[in-house]
Amino acid sequence: MSLSVLLIKILEYMFVAGWVGSVIVLVLTGIEDIGTLLDTEDETSH
Amino acid sequence: MSSTSNSPTGSNRVRIVVATSVMLTFISYWRAAAVILNDLGSSAFYAGGIAEQAIGKSAPWFVLGVMLFAFAVRAVYVESCSMFVRGGVYRVVKEALGGTLAKLSVSALMFDYILTGPVSGVSAGQYIAGLINDTISIADAHGWIPSALHRAFHGTPQVGVNGTAVLFGIAVTLYFWWENIKGIEESSEKALWVMQITTVMVVMLIGWSLFTLLKVGGHLPPFPTLANIHYSDESLGFWKHSKLPHMFGILGLIIGFGHSVLAMSGEESLAQVYRELAHPKLKNLKRTAIVIGVYSFVFTGLVSLLAVMLVPDDVRVKVYSDNLIAGLAMYMIGPQILRLIFRAFVVVVGFLILSGAVNTAIVGSNGVLNRVSEDGVLADWFRRPHKKYGTTYRIINLIVGLQLFTIIVSWGNIYTLGEAYAFGVVWSFVFKTISMLVLRYRYKGERNWKVPPNLHIFGVEIPIGLASVAMVLLSTAIVNLFTKSVATVSGLIFSVVFFAIFTFSEKVNRRKHADHAAQMKEQFQLQQAESVGRETVGIRAGNVLVPVRDYNTLHHLKWVLERTDTREQDVVVMTARISQFGSAAYGLSTEQIFSDYEQTLFTRAVSVAESFGKKISLLLVPARDPWSAVAQTAHNLESSAVVAGISSKTTAAEQAFALGTAWEAIPEPKQQFILQIVRPDGTVDTFRIGPHTPTMKNEDVVLLHRLWLNVTQEPGLEKVHHHDILTEALTRFARDFGAHAHDDIVKELRRHSADGGPLPARRIADQIPTVQPEPTRSDRDEGPHGSKE
Repeated sequence: MSLSVLLIKILEYMFVAGWVGSVIVLVLTGIEDIGTLLDTEDETSH
Repeated sequence: MSSTSNSPTGSNRVRIVVATSVMLTFISYWRAAAVILNDLGSSAFYAGGIAEQAIGKSAPWFVLGVMLFAFAVRAVYVESCSMFVRGGVYRVVKEALGGTLAKLSVSALMFDYILTGPVSGVSAGQYIAGLINDTISIADAHGWIPSALHRAFHGTPQVGVNGTAVLFGIAVTLYFWWENIKGIEESSEKALWVMQITTVMVVMLIGWSLFTLLKVGGHLPPFPTLANIHYSDESLGFWKHSKLPHMFGILGLIIGFGHSVLAMSGEESLAQVYRELAHPKLKNLKRTAIVIGVYSFVFTGLVSLLAVMLVPDDVRVKVYSDNLIAGLAMYMIGPQILRLIFRAFVVVVGFLILSGAVNTAIVGSNGVLNRVSEDGVLADWFRRPHKKYGTTYRIINLIVGLQLFTIIVSWGNIYTLGEAYAFGVVWSFVFKTISMLVLRYRYKGERNWKVPPNLHIFGVEIPIGLASVAMVLLSTAIVNLFTKSVATVSGLIFSVVFFAIFTFSEKVNRRKHADHAAQMKEQFQLQQAESVGRETVGIRAGNVLVPVRDYNTLHHLKWVLERTDTREQDVVVMTARISQFGSAAYGLSTEQIFSDYEQTLFTRAVSVAESFGKKISLLLVPARDPWSAVAQTAHNLESSAVVAGISSKTTAAEQAFALGTAWEAIPEPKQQFILQIVRPDGTVDTFRIGPHTPTMKNEDVVLLHRLWLNVTQEPGLEKVHHHDILTEALTRFARDFGAHAHDDIVKELRRHSADGGPLPARRIADQIPTVQPEPTRSDRDEGPHGSKE
């Protein structure tokens, strides 16, 4: 396996693993966001 | 110097109180979102087209993916802001990775900012040129173009799209260059207004497009698989002749993602607006992030998707790739004239938002370079203020010069500009996210929120979420280095040149600053204070506040010192260190706030005071807006008067209005004061700030007196005073204004305001019968305790 192929493989694994983790971030922050949106306390006007 | 010394130690050094809390006017999360979306939303006008030129018809899926991923990136920004109030790239990278990488990250950010201007200006020009050409073509099809004109152009007259875009880009850049030289103030009000108009366009665009889809049908773009990704010649860069991009499926996805990443440019603004967000800050930051996330997903993501579904392939890439939304407007169902009108609306909105982005680019770059200059990594020469306007014109000239150079070199090629722009965007995100990852282990201070999820193994925290975002960004940025040859070469040259300038300046400045610090130590004593108060400055109530900015125009300070006995009334000379929108994300130490410019300014002020043999107090406050700083300082110091010099940009009345508006924003209780605007020739305009007794015209006094004479003829009303008449009149006016007579009153006031003449008090007074006053009546004008009204 050449060095460039190895580098590409590493980048591909990083990208896929990163996306899987990012989707978890999206889900968890999304749930939190719903709570933030529903909480109208301290809401400032325009 | 001793004449001006108020040091408690009695030394000859002049004490300067340096407030460290910036006097900000706080904004709601809606306004903050509008400010960010003016930058983030503008990419919807070109990101989809650029991505499709690079990777083919499946591009909208990548743009949607980028907009989805942007939700995760903003979580990184929320965490950084929860750690540092000024959580911009420079601060975070410097904290985590040190000064060298911070300089490198700022170089990448500068590349991002400098490219924002040309890409936005040229894109707006493309939309305008496209509209002109299509309008002429439609007119020609109807036979409305004179045949002579037709012959002269050897066909339908058309303007050169790229040439027009270049000219427009240059014109807009020069316009905002001049505005920034003059020192325009950023307004969240304007940003909100632009976003309101943009929202109307987005709703119409999506609604009309969905209706068209329902009526005529459409196909989803091909899904992003290796077979469906069609690389253009330019999109593979250094891998143009390599088999690698065609061998690996996921590498294709990374390449596609890398060509679409500029769709999320503008997220950095999230850190910049954080300081100005109203309480509760973190919650409002999250709300802002949700608003911008959803808005940009719908606008940039959905519009790119709809364009591919509705605009036929043959014209979408050839004709509309540089003005995709205009193409979408033209391929919806409905009469042609209606579509053309809507397209004109799209162009107007594009002009507003993209022109705003040109300005944001100049303001942001100016802010970042000011910030690094304050940190000693850019020669002070750059920060020397403009003689007339007091702005950092050399930095602005440098930025605009680079932007104009970029526009001309690119010759309106939006694809090349966008590709280069993506280099700065992705690398500044990479530096930021990796730094945040490092800070998870190095930073032990307060942190109110963390990107989830986080595992704990044997007491060690594993930041899975943060690491995941960093991995996506880093892999994309590395692949971009190979696939975007123009961006890589230009970005690296730019970053290396800027890095070299920063490093060289830092070395020169280190020696210079050592001399400066020694000189300052000898001359001034800096006293740091969290907030401004009479006690911290050591002055009495009723003092005179003299704001100064330019050391060449201190005539108003001389005017004050000529007329004030400083043994009886203190004189406070203050200057506001303006933290502009772009630099609000960065923190300043006392020494940074008090730079060599402030030292020169105060040295001049002190020598003016010495020439009068009088004592002054010196105060330096960081602020977002100069008038807010003056109003809040006058309020905190219980000043009785503010004496300012006449502005080169506005009239005295406009200055008074600005200060009055800032005063209105201060919460109650607050006291009124006098504003005096002094001209170089010594003439003075005086204004009262806050509620005050108005100056009454003679005819008003006559009317009041006649009314009083008549009223006191009535039985039982002999003891009524003039002020009782006024109270009754005002009470009745307030009642009528709030009820049936509101419109009539407003109409009457408007009429007289337009006439410029006085209200007809004399005429009314003449209608009231004259009652001969009894000789003793005027004595009743005295109050019961003998006080005059």
